[in-house]
Amino acid sequence: MSLQFLNAFRFFKKNTLIHNLDPRAKLLFAIIYTINALMFNEIIPLFILFVSLIPLILIGRLFKLWFKSLRGMSFLFIIIILLNTLFLSLNFAIAMVLRISIMLSAFSIFFLTVDPNDLALSLISMKIPYEFAFSFSLAFRFVPTIAIEAQNIMDAQQSRGYEMQQKGIINQIKNLFPLLVPLIISSIKRAFNVAEALESRAFGSEQKRTYYFTIKYNAKDWVFTFYLLALLFFLILIRINLNYMPIWFNWSIPV
Amino acid sequence: MNSLIYFQGVNFSYPNGTIALKEINLKINKGETMAIMGQNGAGKTTLIRMLNGLLRPNSGRVLIEGKDIIASTIGSLSKKVGIIFQNPMHQLFSNTVEEEIKFSLKSLDISKDEIEQRTNTILKEYGFERYASHSPMNLSGGESKKLALASIMCRDPDILVFDEPTLGQDANEINIFLNMLEKEYRKQKTIIMVTHNVEFAFEHVPRVVLMTGGRILADGPTNRILTNEMLVNRSSLILPQVSRLKLGLKSMGLEVPDNIIMKADMVKFLSNYFELQKMEEK
Repeated sequence: MSLQFLNAFRFFKKNTLIHNLDPRAKLLFAIIYTINALMFNEIIPLFILFVSLIPLILIGRLFKLWFKSLRGMSFLFIIIILLNTLFLSLNFAIAMVLRISIMLSAFSIFFLTVDPNDLALSLISMKIPYEFAFSFSLAFRFVPTIAIEAQNIMDAQQSRGYEMQQKGIINQIKNLFPLLVPLIISSIKRAFNVAEALESRAFGSEQKRTYYFTIKYNAKDWVFTFYLLALLFFLILIRINLNYMPIWFNWSIPV
Repeated sequence: MNSLIYFQGVNFSYPNGTIALKEINLKINKGETMAIMGQNGAGKTTLIRMLNGLLRPNSGRVLIEGKDIIASTIGSLSKKVGIIFQNPMHQLFSNTVEEEIKFSLKSLDISKDEIEQRTNTILKEYGFERYASHSPMNLSGGESKKLALASIMCRDPDILVFDEPTLGQDANEINIFLNMLEKEYRKQKTIIMVTHNVEFAFEHVPRVVLMTGGRILADGPTNRILTNEMLVNRSSLILPQVSRLKLGLKSMGLEVPDNIIMKADMVKFLSNYFELQKMEEK
């Protein structure tokens, strides 16, 4: 199954420190790591950032899924390396792969550990209108559904004699193309159905609504937030003083 | 052993751990028409999805024309085996009705002219000429079911597999389906259907396999198995109308002979009975 990497963005309930953090803290984490990754073009700081994610992945017991998500993107990595090496340099290419891996991992950790329902709640607590917050969380809820839909279409195509090549990453990508148009059409159709279903259950009929669950920012969330802000501040300082850093920090692959 | 399809000790469980099939042994001969019945979750759909390799057994073998399905791709198996899914929306994916048919034909490696010709024949045969350039997504439930059927039938496979063919069909559509079945039967096609429709299976299908909890509960002639109250109850089905009528009549004290099984027998028996009553009154 070529679509298994979508599982890397699917929430599974687990009881770990990372899972129990407030969704807002984890959103901040994903955003700050993205900013951090965008600040540097050098291999060493990006590598350190990347490594700093690994404890979080281990604490959250996410290693398998996280690894799958990276493997699913390996095609993109190959393209980045090829194009950048061709037009710029191998050094830059590797830095860019690290940068994307960091951003991907940060968001992968976010989506793997945040319950879509909590996500909606946290967005509402940030004063985002319920309609938007709800559609946002609904979108994530539908990722696995769309993966199933894609599998159904592939089954249908193969049942009518379409030969899918099994081996090789290039062939697996090729297999995805005949899938796109039907998948988009069926997703749009599904969206209309969901809208009708929501309205038939009186969605949006009242201005105020009841929330069954509430979310709270605890001590551990504040500690995590403090860590993230400190990290951001520290890295900004390094960025500004990059020229005064030790030589190994600016190391690049000798060509 | 000349069975066309042979399940040999097949076990299967889904990645999430659900055990779907346990030790399935089943032989199906060429030209046979049979129904697979049983409650929801009994493993019927899993079983038929093995016929063209969409699922492969964890252990045991599935042989088609003596060849293990492990050795073939889904694409090549579906030349022989046409599966019509339960939900037509899972089968339709093209932009227009015409393309939908052509997709099935293109992978057969035939000439362009032949594709055109066969597409037109099928469109006419199934009454889709008017909709040829419409999107399959806009067809009604019954129509899309018919198109899903047409998209498989145009490939002319030797083994036809239907998942719930009568579900959501009106009486007229069921009749059309029945006519098509008869035509295919005469062409010596092997027909396998998964259905909950007891009346349909009882009247039109000679052999039935009952499944429950991933196992085969019973396998044999429809008129024996579907009239067995114990088997029917265990697989969450109901007895055919004739059998229920027979039980009802018996409980009212009317002796109905055991050899009355089919609807026609019952009609004959009852008309004789009323005739007799009239004569006695005179």
